[in-house]
Amino acid sequence: MSAISRPALPSPASVARRLAPWLLPAAILLGWQAAGSAGLVSTRLMPAPLDVAAAGWRLAETGELWTNLGVSFLRAASGFLIGGGIGFALGLANGLSRLSDSLTDTTVQMIRNIPHLSLIPLVILWFGIGEEAKLFLVALGVFFPIYANTLHGIRSVDPQLVEMGRIYGMSRPELFWRVVLPGALPSVFVGLRYALGIMWLTLIVAETISASSGLGYMAMQAREFMLVDVVVLAILIYALLGKVADLATRRLERACLAWNPAYRAA
Amino acid sequence: MFASTLRRFEGAPAAPARLRREAIDREIARDRAAPGLGLTLRGLSKSFDGGKPVIDGLDLHIPAGQFVAVVGRSGCGKSTLLRLILGLEAPSAGRVAVEGEGTPRPDAPRRIMFQEPRLLPWASVLDNVAVGLRGGTAAERRARAASALTEVGLAEKAEQWPATLSGGQRQRVALARALVSRPGMLALDEPLGALDALTRIDMQAMIERIWRAQGFTALLVTHDVAEAVALADRILVVESGRIALDVAVPVPRPRRRGDPELAALEGRILDHLLDGRG
Repeated sequence: MSAISRPALPSPASVARRLAPWLLPAAILLGWQAAGSAGLVSTRLMPAPLDVAAAGWRLAETGELWTNLGVSFLRAASGFLIGGGIGFALGLANGLSRLSDSLTDTTVQMIRNIPHLSLIPLVILWFGIGEEAKLFLVALGVFFPIYANTLHGIRSVDPQLVEMGRIYGMSRPELFWRVVLPGALPSVFVGLRYALGIMWLTLIVAETISASSGLGYMAMQAREFMLVDVVVLAILIYALLGKVADLATRRLERACLAWNPAYRAA
Repeated sequence: MFASTLRRFEGAPAAPARLRREAIDREIARDRAAPGLGLTLRGLSKSFDGGKPVIDGLDLHIPAGQFVAVVGRSGCGKSTLLRLILGLEAPSAGRVAVEGEGTPRPDAPRRIMFQEPRLLPWASVLDNVAVGLRGGTAAERRARAASALTEVGLAEKAEQWPATLSGGQRQRVALARALVSRPGMLALDEPLGALDALTRIDMQAMIERIWRAQGFTALLVTHDVAEAVALADRILVVESGRIALDVAVPVPRPRRRGDPELAALEGRILDHLLDGRG
């Protein structure tokens, strides 16, 4: 009754719908805490959530957490921009130009089949454990999904729409900006989502193996001193970062693809 | 049997090519000053990859402002004929001449409307209509697009995405896009083929009304003989790349649906098409 007379309050149904995705994570945390407090799980191997939160608070106070988070974010973002930018540009070039496609596509497909993490020993030999090594690996990992999906997006643009654009006298640049690029965009976004996943994976592996700062380094150092709570903290932060990246992509999709009924905001 | 009686009745298709070409020349001379664009095809042929010709030595004159319907079985070449006239395909032989001299706008655009609306899904309805315009400021283009939308009765949908419209409404947006530049010739390639019966009738009335108001030359390709008979001044039956029948529809407008004269004509054309099955 009160919910109906005061429309400013969200209805119980919409509150329930918003909370539903968080029920399972919350239940897992509670069960985990209960198991830890009751002594069912050794806190030496698996610290309870409150201990992990305390570790997070401690590291946040000393500033160590923010420094490492910032370093990792910067590496991820710059590697993503470089690899994604090159992948997008080459995808466009090969989608639009037969010459460019016949010159480069075979090479790209061959390199794609090498697991990029298998290059870590070589990369360490080339760059040592400096920033270049991480940038190179992230850029390489991000390149392929963006490249392949941009190319696929451009190839699958409706040829009837392209013909329509020509009939109505669109110039080549106009055809690209008004027909080809918007038509390829949904596919580019699929590539973007894949690339974000690969970006974190590559960075964490690279930082775990060879680094002197960053989240992966923080976790590895904690292992040496048997700080299990910090190791678990680092893993939880990866989960949160993944969720944040996913949310950001979703926002961007809704803004750019509002015309498409599949992406329209509820 | 039907075919032979018809041929005797019409006379034109059986006449020798030379007489036919002279008749065409006389017609061209007569309608120099009419609105819209006239059209002459001489010895037009088209074959794909050196195969059997789809269009086979076709001669035709369409006076400016005429509403011509092209009917025929699937694969008879009627859509290819339209694409040749619009310059979307290059002829293998012969030529297409569009006559604009003496008309008020000799360089008036030629537009085509397809069975699919071919709207840009990522542009608003208004921006889709504005695709039909070149030049001028953005504000001018939007104003002209808005008035074309009003003409097809969709002014209130201007800011919506095409995905939110019904099939008939999308086709009306495509019509507005084709008309916004005031074309001298409008080709319609089975534009109503995918619509339900009632929407078709509405759209036919709308196309006829706008054609009468604007005076462009209209070329309608359709498999629906009733539609051809209801709308056209003249009906061409195309069979294996040639014009098998060229009939005038001398029924005054506005035409009444179910008019016995139209029904008789429709029956004759259908008989011809079915007889051609062999």
